[in-house]
Amino acid sequence: MHLEEFAGGNSFFHRLDPRVKFITFVPYVTAIAVMQGIKAPFVGLIISAVMILAAGIDIKKVLNRLIVINLPILILWIFLPFSYPGEGFFSIGPFTATSEGVLHALSITLKANSIVMATIAILGTSEIFSLAHALVHLRAPVKLVYLFFFFYRYISVIHNEYTCLKKTLTARSFRPATNMHTYRTYANLIGMLIVRSYERSQRIYKAMLCRGFKGTFPVMSHFSLKKSDIAFSATMALITVIIVII
Amino acid sequence: MEQGENIIEIEDLNFAYPHEKKLFNSLSFSLKKGQRVGLTGHNGSGKTTFFHLIMGLIKPLSGDIKIFGKSRKDEKDFYEVREKISLLFQDPDDQLFCPTVEEDIAFGPLNIGMSHDGARAIVKMTCEKLNLTGYEKKITLRLSGGEKRLVSLAAVIAMNPVCYLLDEPTAGLDNGATERFLRYLKDYADTYIIVTHDRELLKNAVDMVYKIDDCKIIRV
Amino acid sequence: MHISEGVLSPAVLAAGVILSAAGVAMGLKKMSADRMPEVAVLSSAFFIVSLIHIPVGPASVHLIMNGLVGVLLGWMAFPSILVALTLQALVFQYGGFTVLGVNTFTVAAPAVTAYYLFSCAIKRNDNSSLTALAAFCAGALGVGLAALLLVLALVTTGEVFINVAKLIAIAHLPVFIIEGAITAFCVLFLKKVKPELLN
Repeated sequence: MHLEEFAGGNSFFHRLDPRVKFITFVPYVTAIAVMQGIKAPFVGLIISAVMILAAGIDIKKVLNRLIVINLPILILWIFLPFSYPGEGFFSIGPFTATSEGVLHALSITLKANSIVMATIAILGTSEIFSLAHALVHLRAPVKLVYLFFFFYRYISVIHNEYTCLKKTLTARSFRPATNMHTYRTYANLIGMLIVRSYERSQRIYKAMLCRGFKGTFPVMSHFSLKKSDIAFSATMALITVIIVII
Repeated sequence: MEQGENIIEIEDLNFAYPHEKKLFNSLSFSLKKGQRVGLTGHNGSGKTTFFHLIMGLIKPLSGDIKIFGKSRKDEKDFYEVREKISLLFQDPDDQLFCPTVEEDIAFGPLNIGMSHDGARAIVKMTCEKLNLTGYEKKITLRLSGGEKRLVSLAAVIAMNPVCYLLDEPTAGLDNGATERFLRYLKDYADTYIIVTHDRELLKNAVDMVYKIDDCKIIRV
Repeated sequence: MHISEGVLSPAVLAAGVILSAAGVAMGLKKMSADRMPEVAVLSSAFFIVSLIHIPVGPASVHLIMNGLVGVLLGWMAFPSILVALTLQALVFQYGGFTVLGVNTFTVAAPAVTAYYLFSCAIKRNDNSSLTALAAFCAGALGVGLAALLLVLALVTTGEVFINVAKLIAIAHLPVFIIEGAITAFCVLFLKKVKPELLN
């Protein structure tokens, strides 16, 4: 199961300190998310697109992601323009779209796309584990970050178990359909996954005890700031301020 | 610790899982420094359970578990045991829970109070010993089965234990990986118990073989 | 079950962050070091489960199973669901970081509610049809309440979303029944195979 599609590479973004990534990413996307109108999201969209290009990642893959993200937004476009009272912009049959409605839908679309592109360019270009490490150094609760470590660590293990179970079902002629037999079979499969996961977690805890675990999680240091990290932080701070002001 | 000194002495041990029939009945066993022992027994005879009792991961119904000459009863008694006896789990995925190889090897040393620099030095040394140099920053979940096995061995070697408990260490490994594993084991460990069904392993890596039979451990 | 970036108002986003932070803090407090691996690996399992497609007529739905997460983990459902949604936001960009608070609360609050309402009945009961009924309710309530919270988040943001909200509510009706049924079967399986999980 390959989850880190954009993490491989050697661009400026791939080399940024993960701590700097969080410190710049959070205010930037928050500013885009909370601003009204279309000016701020529009500036965000351009900046995020530039970041995607600078990160040197496969544009095709990014576009595929964007298509998936925009499908639910398409539903909003069906409803929103016609739900606003106000001046008619255009009409289809008995429904009149208002310019306020269209602007609102446009604002949402711009916001969503710029935030998603920023996520891919800034966070997607790091290994997930190094992002989690960065959170420890940014004073996130260590217990929560360890929970994330373990959670991510065992996804591929459980996924293997799932595909094995699924294969044995298929080998025994199981074909999913809309009926109780299907639901019961899936429930048993899920139950089996839960039982195996539980038993595995008990073994993992025992393995931790065997290696001297006494309840506190060790943290190793990883990062050192570079000049480019500081320059990026300053630029992003400036951009965020601009987005808030306009 | 001197060769021939007692490491594990178990007497009159009784154990059963809740709501199940007795697994061990008045079991006795001992292991001395320098002994290399194989342990067999049919599926479900309690080989893994036996290891877990030695490490204090589960507690017996009754009986005496004496390790390094001291009776071990409470959780705290076993802290010292876990620093000096290392258990290699059957499935390396259970054991390699840290993100990177380096962190996994360092987990044990950090837990027993070693400094970060000290732990780093141990990681470097252990990787050199097992030919894993260059693996330090690798993500454990992406290693192959053989690599995972070697890294989990590295993680226990890093604790520099007196004695190793190895639960089917070569299950699922191909010949090359098994050979590498055995070579390192022989180089760095002189006292161990191996649970296995592998006849080759019993012939090559151990001096005596025991068997769990009828709720007891007997010499074969 | 998530809402996209850029839709909700700042006030709703902030409320989501605050409520989720409180829930996660509560969950972390309940999660002793010895239960951390259990919560983590079960979270991995539920993450995989959420990728399973279940056929419904010509289409298919994804499972959420937040009712069962709640019954198994109680308040620890909050950190469990937070890590899962964080990963989704990170690798699939579903949901997203600015809506992480709202989405976590939307899924985890019903889980905790299911825990308080039904876990006693599920754990104590030896009568399998009553257990199944309680489990069905836990599963159905998990999704039902989550859909309701989603609708609430939208309508609080603006009345203009009322039609979209209605659509979401209707779209969740089949999921409601399927989640209930699968949760019920699943609990029966767990009671048979690994009863200590439910204790």
